[in-house]
Amino acid sequence: MRCLADSKPQSSASTSHIPLAQRDQWSDVKPIAQDDGPNPVVPIMYSEEYRDAMDYFRAVAASEERSERALDLTETIIRMNPAHYTVWQYRMATLLALKKDLEEELQLMNEFAIQNLKSYQVWHHRLLLLTHISPEDPQFEIEYIHQSLLPDPKNYHTWAYLHWLYSHFYTLDRISDKQWADELRWCEEMLRVDGRNNSAWGWRWYLRVARPGADTGKDALKIELEYALRAVHHIPHNVSAWNYLRGLLRHFKLPLSPLLPAILPYTARPSTQLPGVPDDFDFPLPTSPLPKDTPLPIPLALEYLAEVLLEENQASEAGQVFGELSTDYDRMRAGYWEFRRRECVEE
Amino acid sequence: MQGHAQQQTFKRNGHINYFLRCLRALPTAAQSSDSNRITAAFFCISALDLIGVLELKTTAEQRAGWIEWIWSLQALSNNQRPKIAAFIQLEYLYKSNGLIVVHHQNDATSPAHIPSTYTALLTLAILRAPLDKLNIPGLTSFLKSCQAKDGSFSPTPGDDHVYPNEGFQSDVRMVYCASVISHIIRDFSGMNVNATERFLERCKTWEGGYASRPGVIEAQGGTTYCSLATLSIFDRLQNSSTSSNMTLRWLVARQIGGFQGRPGKLEDVCYSFWCGGAISLLDHGALINKRADRSFLLSAQFPIGGFGKEPEDYPDPFHSYLALAALSLTHSADDDVGLGLKPLDVRWNVSVETAEWLRAEIARIK
Repeated sequence: MRCLADSKPQSSASTSHIPLAQRDQWSDVKPIAQDDGPNPVVPIMYSEEYRDAMDYFRAVAASEERSERALDLTETIIRMNPAHYTVWQYRMATLLALKKDLEEELQLMNEFAIQNLKSYQVWHHRLLLLTHISPEDPQFEIEYIHQSLLPDPKNYHTWAYLHWLYSHFYTLDRISDKQWADELRWCEEMLRVDGRNNSAWGWRWYLRVARPGADTGKDALKIELEYALRAVHHIPHNVSAWNYLRGLLRHFKLPLSPLLPAILPYTARPSTQLPGVPDDFDFPLPTSPLPKDTPLPIPLALEYLAEVLLEENQASEAGQVFGELSTDYDRMRAGYWEFRRRECVEE
Repeated sequence: MQGHAQQQTFKRNGHINYFLRCLRALPTAAQSSDSNRITAAFFCISALDLIGVLELKTTAEQRAGWIEWIWSLQALSNNQRPKIAAFIQLEYLYKSNGLIVVHHQNDATSPAHIPSTYTALLTLAILRAPLDKLNIPGLTSFLKSCQAKDGSFSPTPGDDHVYPNEGFQSDVRMVYCASVISHIIRDFSGMNVNATERFLERCKTWEGGYASRPGVIEAQGGTTYCSLATLSIFDRLQNSSTSSNMTLRWLVARQIGGFQGRPGKLEDVCYSFWCGGAISLLDHGALINKRADRSFLLSAQFPIGGFGKEPEDYPDPFHSYLALAALSLTHSADDDVGLGLKPLDVRWNVSVETAEWLRAEIARIK
């Protein structure tokens, strides 16, 4: 396996491909050709190397051969087609049957993951490996995943895997308090680098709200609200930060109105209409002046204002704000805002 | 972009030729679709159905051949109890003594596959194949063998040791396909519906959309469509109106011309269907900005037919079909620009005509 892992990249391999039939190692196997019948639909123009390997794979699978050469063959195929779930499945069964060193397999997967970040099968295979290896401390794997997020910080599979990693090893009681704290710091760094990374916001939600053992007491919640507000003040058009704020309020069934003073400046209402900031208001307020390049009003702030007005039973005023969103400030969603406006008028 | 896109006309003939070409052969670059060929076939055949030219542009003989090809993929496992029937991948089909046989794997490597079964059923219906040969008890046994304790489904039947049903791939996409299969055959005995509904409830995120699996950190357009379509099939969609309002809010916010799959991501043709379809499932299809969506979709047409993921991209059957499905959603009731697409059954993702035929056909054979 080692020599295969070091083999040349696919492009050069295909030109120097030696058919399996000409290799002594395979002389005892009779390949089974794919039979598409007389009326194939969407036939694929396979490369010679792929067709050859699949013909032998069919033969190997038919006899349920569990061997080193079968492992090599599965590796050859998944290098050409990383989405081939049957081949992956066969590989896993063979690894277990031969009692192979799964850490060595994990090394191979480190290389695979970089090339195939979007393949479900690569991540599923990795998850099964980690489940079988079941390390006492998954720190090395956490670090590997952090690394692999650097080139593609919004990769859905990688984040889903990181979530699995923490929840799986938490149920085994192998995530320390320090690891949770370090993870939160790492997540904050991700958000500092790119405050609009929605995946990192989701990860923060897991770490601070959703994970088993998260502290969701009053003080912790206040810290979260402040964090979200500061993010809004830092990048006022940041959808993810607004959604996080709204998500917190909804999840903890809190009213929107107490935070309105921190949001009003973004609605660009004439100052005569703005109520003052109450003396006891102790949440972060927008910077003054606002960050450069902040076109006002911000539709998300107008939406927030309208929701506050609805909360305070001022439906017709809310309808007016929704109407402005529809006609002036968020034309892309004109139909949606008009629908919200009509709901207010009809109630 | 608006100005650029306004010049775009719908390349109807180009698309017809694109799908006909794909049905004849896919390039080597499509090798990674090898294990999902029946699904690629579904995209092409359903596209010709939506455009309304399937019978005009293909011969009865071709269609009969395709039907035969799909039936050859219906696996009937002999070494499993109860017997499982579902549609499999091609590599297990081979010739032995001049007869085509299906090789039966043991549980650990069973190739029957949920998405392939879903697309095989729909493709047979589009081709108007009599379904007498359909093994309904086998299908429900198959689904049972894929359902995990948490209510989700794995793509292939699992086992306790090598490939458990719980796992990375057991997500709302598989739940959707399993639910549509049950819905089509009008038999939900292959799935624990309550467990699946609880699973979906746990997939809901802080943003109001649905993630691929419970606890996964962010919602996505495709997984939100799969979740809502499943709840709609279960007839449990309107139960929680506050919650579906938040979902609607999240979905309409994804429109930035075409649709993005998540906040902060670029437009992608397929999300016009996933997000637009999800909005339609909530009965709010009229809230989609139809013109902006159409402009983006038409700008992603490849000069000689088919749609890429975004403008300037090469076409593939997946994006090409979903672009047509999205255009059908917004343009079949009020076709102000004359696209001439058939109306779409948004839950099954096939033409309404075909869905109606399929319902009648299942009633006939049951």
